[in-house]
Amino acid sequence: MRLTRYIVRRLLLLIPVLIGVSVLTFVLIRVLPGDPVLLIVPETATEADIQQARERFGLDQPLVAQYLTYLGDVLRGDLGRSITTNTPVAEQLARRVPLTLELIVYAMGLALIIAVVGGIYAARRAGRPSDHTARVVALAGNSLPEFWLGLVLVLIFYQALGWAPPPAGRISPLFSVPPITGFITIDTLLQGDLPAFFSALHHLMLPVLTLAIVITAPLLRSVRASALEVIDSDSYRCAESHGLKDRVLLFAYLFRLTLIRLPTLAALVFGNLLGGSVLVEYVFSWQGLGQWALRGLLLRDYPVIQAYVLVVATFYVLVFLIADLLQAALDPRVEV
Amino acid sequence: MTKQTEQKDTSAQFALNRRQALQLGGGLGFVATMGLGAKPVFAQDEDTLTIAIAGDLGGWDQDYLAFDLIGLAVMKNTYPYMLDYGVREVDGGQIQDTETVVPTFAESWESNEDGTVWTLGIRQGMRFPSGNELTAADVKWSKDRAFAAQANVAGIYRIIGLTEADQVEVVDDYTVRFHQSQPSAMTSQIQIISLYVFDSQLVQEHATTDDPWATDWVNRNPPLGGAYNVVGYEPGQEIVLEANPDFPLGEPPVQRVRLPIIPAAANRRLLLQNGDVDIALGLPRRDIDDLRSAPGITVISAPSNEFVFVPMSTVTPPFDNPLVRQAMAYAVPYDQIIASVYNGDARRSTSPVPLDMPGHSDAGYPYAHDPDQARALLEQAGLADGFDTSIVIVTDNVEQERIAILLQNALGEVGGRAEIETVDPATLQQRRRDRTIPLQVASGQMWVNDVEYLLSVALTEGGFLNYANYDNAEVNALFGQLNGLLDPVARQEIFMRVQEILAEDVPWLVLCQPNFGLPVSGSISGWVQPVDGLFRLRYLER
Repeated sequence: MRLTRYIVRRLLLLIPVLIGVSVLTFVLIRVLPGDPVLLIVPETATEADIQQARERFGLDQPLVAQYLTYLGDVLRGDLGRSITTNTPVAEQLARRVPLTLELIVYAMGLALIIAVVGGIYAARRAGRPSDHTARVVALAGNSLPEFWLGLVLVLIFYQALGWAPPPAGRISPLFSVPPITGFITIDTLLQGDLPAFFSALHHLMLPVLTLAIVITAPLLRSVRASALEVIDSDSYRCAESHGLKDRVLLFAYLFRLTLIRLPTLAALVFGNLLGGSVLVEYVFSWQGLGQWALRGLLLRDYPVIQAYVLVVATFYVLVFLIADLLQAALDPRVEV
Repeated sequence: MTKQTEQKDTSAQFALNRRQALQLGGGLGFVATMGLGAKPVFAQDEDTLTIAIAGDLGGWDQDYLAFDLIGLAVMKNTYPYMLDYGVREVDGGQIQDTETVVPTFAESWESNEDGTVWTLGIRQGMRFPSGNELTAADVKWSKDRAFAAQANVAGIYRIIGLTEADQVEVVDDYTVRFHQSQPSAMTSQIQIISLYVFDSQLVQEHATTDDPWATDWVNRNPPLGGAYNVVGYEPGQEIVLEANPDFPLGEPPVQRVRLPIIPAAANRRLLLQNGDVDIALGLPRRDIDDLRSAPGITVISAPSNEFVFVPMSTVTPPFDNPLVRQAMAYAVPYDQIIASVYNGDARRSTSPVPLDMPGHSDAGYPYAHDPDQARALLEQAGLADGFDTSIVIVTDNVEQERIAILLQNALGEVGGRAEIETVDPATLQQRRRDRTIPLQVASGQMWVNDVEYLLSVALTEGGFLNYANYDNAEVNALFGQLNGLLDPVARQEIFMRVQEILAEDVPWLVLCQPNFGLPVSGSISGWVQPVDGLFRLRYLER
């Protein structure tokens, strides 16, 4: 009950956050130089044509009136229509969010596994060559620009070795997968199409690896530092000196205590990934949220940018809520 | 102690087993993934052509789609167009001939004596994939829709005196008449661009009270019935086209065309080199030059009507002084730009009227690189100490960047100091409209290959592409005289006079017309260079 109240309270916080974010976004993108109408009218357009196009999108109205119309529409569940493509923004979001989520969930999962295993491994061998190697490798991964790293992985695994598929989307065009959830690995499994599932995994391989390499370093360093603290703690030493089994030491003491700090950092990294995957999406022809938002920004497609910011804000709030709940579950000192 | 060691051994044994199991599982997964994924990525057979494109289209409704070259190119192949340009051969390459009109779904296209009434005869028995016959009613409904949209077609129709839907008359099931308010030498070219037709019966089934022209439905559903039909569309991923066996000029040789969307140019190049695609569109010039020597790849070259120029704002100091603009024209290192930016693969422009446009005269731009002359003119303009300015270019355009650097150096040679400003497309358009760009590097191709059109959109007051903010009373008057004038000799005289004035006024620095280069796999032939930048797939063969 207490937990439910906490969750509801945190979710209610979303309302002021989203209103604040929507006002800020609405004003800021209109302050930027650039008029979307000038990018959609034909080259024969006259002043009257430009004005007419502006009226078509309600851009001739005063800013406050535009915002109130927008807010009213959003409350009715209508995120508006893209100015450049004339399609409902909600429809485009529904198509693109799963693409990006699938990519970043796998990348985050892979990065967490590497960080936890590598971090604890390095901490238990602190100061030894394997510790230094793990840290240097992670740091190197973090230092590489993801755009460059993605291209290099494509060159190595697609062009040179022929192990990876071309960076041309989520699945081989030989397969046709009608969307159910939008998550292609899930949809292929739901449809029982194993070859398509493996093709989807194959296509996920390099983009997931690229993102994972880039985000592993901060996670690994955090895990290693936490693990070192635990190893140096009285309780761990005590447990060790009492001759507890290595497995018990590892899982009951080191593993659990080390992970206490992880959810907050992981939430931050994961939240950043939603917007930060744009370059990887570009390199791997992944038509996700990032590419869509970038195009919207370049063309000043106001409804697209507004919707994107709302989604990202909601995502952040939810991710941090989950992180806080996880932390509370891991650390009895934290109360919700 | 012993006990602990034993425990460690046990755990080591356990860890080893787990590791082995993981290795085994991972290995199996890897093998399975690699094995199943190693199928050919795109179906490579004689009947299928794969063309990598840079982006998705903005929607399927051509009445509203503007400045979306990919979308317009795809639709050029999938809408039934009544007319198209002819084809002529130049230097062994094929290019579209804007002086020839070829009826496609139309049977005939002719005008009355004074050029105000144009009659379109439609081929009988042409059917959309829905089974509906293409008739005059479809043409009429399609153009009524275009007038209602007041966007692309309505804008360009205005130039030839078509402003109201009732100027389009259905004579019988297979005949439509266009009643223009005045004759125009550009009618056929503008109708080639505008005469695409909807399957009006099908579309009307999806009209609603709120949306009488079914814009929502049309925007989501690819048009059918052109040279190709869209048989697959995965947004953001791929468009698949299939040849229309009933295309009036004969079934296109290539049965199936896949258009995978690959945003990164580096990847489009890689896919071409690896044989996963047959054609890579939109590659940077450097990549194209590199690919000339790549095995199995041919670079199709053709003279292009794309021209590169630098509009100077004639209302912004110091470029509001014609002497300064002339000085600029002498300061530009034309040959160096062609050599270093285009690797020599460009033709030097000699007039604001592009090469190959009827009426072009070398008298339009009698300038060559002459820094001394430039300095003398600047001194005459009272700018012996030089001046400060900025050159605006658009983001992510390497060619413009390189041109801007060369211009910056050239300006420095004659005493000018220029800062290079890179802006995104939306800011660029806004600043063009606000007239706050002194110098900008621009390029483009005229959709209508006619000086009257060029003047209307780019060199007279109010023209949307009039980036130089050029407003010369005599040019405006001459442009007015062209309106409705059909006599080619009289038109030619006006074109000449306009170019003489432009040579004095120099609103643009005209640099060059780069040749078009298209890297394709060795087995592809038949490319016809489009004058509007919109590829026609029906000519391609493998």
